[in-house]
Amino acid sequence: MEYVSPEGLRLDGRRPMEMRQIRAEIGAVSKADGSAIFEMGNTKVIAAVYGPREVQNRSQQISSHALVRCEYCMANFSTGDRMRKSKGDRRSTEISLVIRQTMEACILTHLLPRSQIDIYVQVLQADGGTRSACINAATLALADAGIPMRDLVTSCSAGYLNSTPLLDLNYVEDSAGGPDVTLGILPKLDKVTLLQMDSKLPIDILENVMQLAIEGCKAIANYIREILLANTKQLEYRRGV
Amino acid sequence: MGLPNVSEDLSSEMEVDAFRRLFPLRYFERHLAESIRPDGRPLGKARETSIFLGAVASANGSALVKIGSTTILTAIKMEVMTPSLESPDEGCLAIDFHMPPICSPIVRPGRPAEASPVVSKQLSDTISSSKMIDLKELSLVSGKAAWMAYLDIYCLDADGALFDAALLSAVASLSHLQIPVVAMNDDGKIVLVSEEDGQKREQEPVNKEKRKLTLRSIPFSLTCILHKNYILADPTAEEESIMETHVTVVLDTSGQLISLYKPGGPVLAYTSAIQDCAALTRQRVKELKSFLDKANSAMEVE
Repeated sequence: MEYVSPEGLRLDGRRPMEMRQIRAEIGAVSKADGSAIFEMGNTKVIAAVYGPREVQNRSQQISSHALVRCEYCMANFSTGDRMRKSKGDRRSTEISLVIRQTMEACILTHLLPRSQIDIYVQVLQADGGTRSACINAATLALADAGIPMRDLVTSCSAGYLNSTPLLDLNYVEDSAGGPDVTLGILPKLDKVTLLQMDSKLPIDILENVMQLAIEGCKAIANYIREILLANTKQLEYRRGV
Repeated sequence: MGLPNVSEDLSSEMEVDAFRRLFPLRYFERHLAESIRPDGRPLGKARETSIFLGAVASANGSALVKIGSTTILTAIKMEVMTPSLESPDEGCLAIDFHMPPICSPIVRPGRPAEASPVVSKQLSDTISSSKMIDLKELSLVSGKAAWMAYLDIYCLDADGALFDAALLSAVASLSHLQIPVVAMNDDGKIVLVSEEDGQKREQEPVNKEKRKLTLRSIPFSLTCILHKNYILADPTAEEESIMETHVTVVLDTSGQLISLYKPGGPVLAYTSAIQDCAALTRQRVKELKSFLDKANSAMEVE
């Protein structure tokens, strides 16, 4: 199948280095300490952060820093065919772990000892790049909750199909079986917190694909900063500051 | 014995928020005495309500409903099944209410929320007893194929009156539902007919005309709280936690009573109180019907 046309267009009409349209909204869940909706094309994700709060299971309490917990879940209707089991499968467990480890790298947990931070992520619509969208949503939710962080974590995927590096893969491109690199970075510190790759890929091409993903992450970071700034101004206005 | 006086002294000095947290019931009762609620609503008024149809692109029908902060997302997925021997000419409707941990600080992962199965059962009973849907409309080939409609109802933000919002969301998604066109192939299997190649196919679609469900006597509900001699319509989660006696009245658009639900609580519901709740529900049904009609007409314009 031809994923990039001779004119250099992908199946959804994007150019190889073009991202899908992104949209974010803060404060989607009233009861949560922090929450956000993040959309990348047809992928829609909602994240909520509860905490810092008292550790539920005392045996898990850590005296030196906060315990970070994460749960990733897909709605039954999020994919083309209805999912029978949306929770507890291996993929969900793996993504939960990936998100937790990625977020732990940026949260200043030592400032919140003996507490627990819960990050819950729910996928409402899946069209490729769900783990990237989840990380971006979780970052926004953590910022909304006022959790101290070293830097924002932003994530984006890139792939290599028809001898062309592609940015921000959708479901069709993701399912093609080609290499898929998911990258998470701390944009200001210029550090990589997450790097996952499926399938084989020559090292020299990996560098190009990674560079493309980094550019995507930085573009998302700029957008997230704008959203946070707009939200802060709104809060200032409401409080009459 | 001295506690009430202490609390009265404190209330004048303390910040409102601190008083609200320490003495929530007293805080609410002070408002109720003035026939108003802490959020500024009169006792019998419901919160702002909005309905967005077609919120999920990957579903056959969907709706996002907000009642105040309570947010419910419902999506319907249609699947072909073999009908049961008892009802060969009928399809099936499966309703599932989910409360993921994002919706409330009380819901924790691992163990499903207590309210989930209760609301699921209530919704199933209400929709089936209202006779809103004729399940024969979901039949494709008698005894061989029928539609199974999966209603997955997700609570994204739980801030009281979950059943009301869930029922409204379910009804809205059913009104938005577009039944896919299907045909029977040479092997006798039901296959989807996509819009583009519909003309090219030799097989005649089984359900060319059945694209929308006919909804009759649509049910709507209103949950009220009974506290002393007050009736509070459409409670928030905070009000529900403080005042424990709830009454949920479900009426259809013709004003017929479909169900009444009062799960325990310390206040005995007298007939007059139930009638007052029904009267409030009657007003609310008119409101909700107009909201749903507006949402549907907005979709038609698009």
